[in-house]
Amino acid sequence: MSKVLTLYRQYRLDRRFIFLSLTPILLLFLIFSIAPIVWGIILGFYQYSALYQESPFIWFDNFTNLLKDEVFVKSFWNTFKFVGIAFPINIVATLILSLGINKIRSTFWRNTLRTMFFLPTIAPLSGSAIIWSTMYKNDGGLFNMILERLGLDTVPWLSDPSIAMWSVVLMTLWADIGFNIVIFMAGLDSIPVQFYEAARLDGASRYVVFWKMTLPLLQRTTLFVTVMTLISYFQMFPQFQVMTNGEPQNATMVLALNIYSNAFQYNNMGYASAMATVLLLIIMVITLAQIRLGRSKWEY
Amino acid sequence: MEHLKRLRFVMVAFVLACMVVSGCSSSSKSEDPGSAKVTLVWWTHDNPSFVAANKKRIEEYKKIKPNVTINYQYFPYDAFIQKAKAAYAGNNAPDIAQLFGTWVTDYAKNGHLATAPNQEELKKNYFEAALGAYTVDDQIYGIPQEYNLENGGVLAHPKMFQAKGLSYPPKTYAELVDAAKQLTVRDGNKIKVKGFDFVSGDNIFFTFMSFILQQNADYWTNDGHVNLTSPEAVTAMTKMKELVTIDKVTDLTRFGDNLDSSDYFFKGSSAMTIRGPWTIANGVNTYKVDDFDYIPMPSLTDSPPYFAAESGWGEVVAAKSKHKQEAWDFVNYMNGKEQALDFNVTTFTVPARKDVAVDPAYLQKLPKLKTSIDVLKYGKWVGPVQDRDFFVKQVNDNFQLIASDKISVQDGLKKIEKSVNEMIDQHLSVGKKSS
Repeated sequence: MSKVLTLYRQYRLDRRFIFLSLTPILLLFLIFSIAPIVWGIILGFYQYSALYQESPFIWFDNFTNLLKDEVFVKSFWNTFKFVGIAFPINIVATLILSLGINKIRSTFWRNTLRTMFFLPTIAPLSGSAIIWSTMYKNDGGLFNMILERLGLDTVPWLSDPSIAMWSVVLMTLWADIGFNIVIFMAGLDSIPVQFYEAARLDGASRYVVFWKMTLPLLQRTTLFVTVMTLISYFQMFPQFQVMTNGEPQNATMVLALNIYSNAFQYNNMGYASAMATVLLLIIMVITLAQIRLGRSKWEY
Repeated sequence: MEHLKRLRFVMVAFVLACMVVSGCSSSSKSEDPGSAKVTLVWWTHDNPSFVAANKKRIEEYKKIKPNVTINYQYFPYDAFIQKAKAAYAGNNAPDIAQLFGTWVTDYAKNGHLATAPNQEELKKNYFEAALGAYTVDDQIYGIPQEYNLENGGVLAHPKMFQAKGLSYPPKTYAELVDAAKQLTVRDGNKIKVKGFDFVSGDNIFFTFMSFILQQNADYWTNDGHVNLTSPEAVTAMTKMKELVTIDKVTDLTRFGDNLDSSDYFFKGSSAMTIRGPWTIANGVNTYKVDDFDYIPMPSLTDSPPYFAAESGWGEVVAAKSKHKQEAWDFVNYMNGKEQALDFNVTTFTVPARKDVAVDPAYLQKLPKLKTSIDVLKYGKWVGPVQDRDFFVKQVNDNFQLIASDKISVQDGLKKIEKSVNEMIDQHLSVGKKSS
């Protein structure tokens, strides 16, 4: 009987510990994550501006207006275009680079290269965007100076609607790939060496080893990298605001920038909240699909 | 004994408390309310010449009213816009703010600003275009320090005209376009030096509005909406498009660039650039150049060179300020004739006060601004645009599409008109003034 009582006391103590340790975190999560999301969704149904003294409830007007708003439609497709270009390049490039760096035997060079690629990630994105803007300048920009030296035509990097998005993608990749390289390298390091030795003994080619062994064993890392990259790319904002502010001809107007412009430039917070809700739904659907597709059932 | 001690303690405490209370009340009674110590918080943007002028006023005011301390804070333009919105929305606004006129309407009609105390005097002494955005329901909510105009004058390089043997300055619109064509320098398909540049965030919009006004037409309807599909609006937009597509004196390559179109002018990348006179300060102070003029922009038609103008920077006092009287005293001091003249001279801005504009001392100190002073009489307040940035963006976005032949002039104007009128409806449906 006393043993049962002791176990029960232990159980109650454990429960109390769990309750005490989780409550603050859950409260913080509720106040700073869930509440703003819910509040943002609710605002989407109001004609709300912080400056106004009245904010009428307008049902779904903000959402139906989105469909008629050409800038929103353009920003919607621009966001997908940006993600569609930058995301696969990022994943493929970072995977190849991390595989390459991982093959280097010298610890010094491996660490140097990893640090080199990671350095731009430390710099604030808006700061990097300012530097890249000066390099992209039509007159006197670094890239055009190089092109001129080589006897080639200069390129209107940020002022041509057909080129501007690619220019921002290039900058983003430079600024961003270091993070994924480090994560992929950590994933590669965690694959037991015995697997490779066994594959080599079995006479497996490099191609087979990569496709049949490395890639499947990197599945969890890949899932993390793809989910995080996709979410951050859908939300990309600083470089678009600093480098182009959505120009030329709204060719680089992405959803996050459009939300910002409506909320803070035009004081149309209700409408901006409706846009933010759409962005939230897009990210949620894609992330859930990714997690479902990338689910793995193995351990090592 | 113990009881007596306690009683003595209570009496001493009571006497001390009485002394403290009487001490406090006697000091506030004896002091003149006008000399009580007051700290006023004043926010502005960080344009260096504006800051210099503002700091001068603070130093002067310290000597006149030593009891008033001005806590002066200035912020980068973009940050300032957001900070001001957040502060007024959160009822935590500074006592005084130097706001751009066109923003003032929204703040005023939502009850965030105090009405100016000297209404009739302001109406008499200030240009109507300068006061326009500060006025809601016939009440003035601030005092403008400048008459903001982006039109009326053109930055021009006389040496470029001389080198080509062209008559200077161009007297008619046709002469201007003709000169611009000859002054445009090309490198293959690209323009190296623009003959006449108007492609910038403000100037596409204001050139368009001015071209409509110069045809003796208006872009406002009687019910406070815009009419941008009139034949005059079509002509105005067509003329602007032709400058890019037929005359080829400018292009869209620098639109949205980090540098202002006036920066390119001062670097010699355009022969003529339509821009506000306030950019002259940039040329003189930053680029250290003086080989340029600010010449009159000829009218598109035979009519006078009418133009649309915004109400420029000026001071407002928060409705929730605890020191409204002191704040207005300081604002009134800043806008005295002598102080206003000094502000306009220091900042290269056009006076909002009529008597400063006609004061010979102004043009003596800023001869380059003669063009702007001469055209002031043709200026019309741009009107109740509600959301200025949204309106300007609609015009800019669609002009770019029109000039790139992606949509027709008529379709572009229809789109601008529709979206701007929707925005106006939205603004008119909420935020009526509370008082």
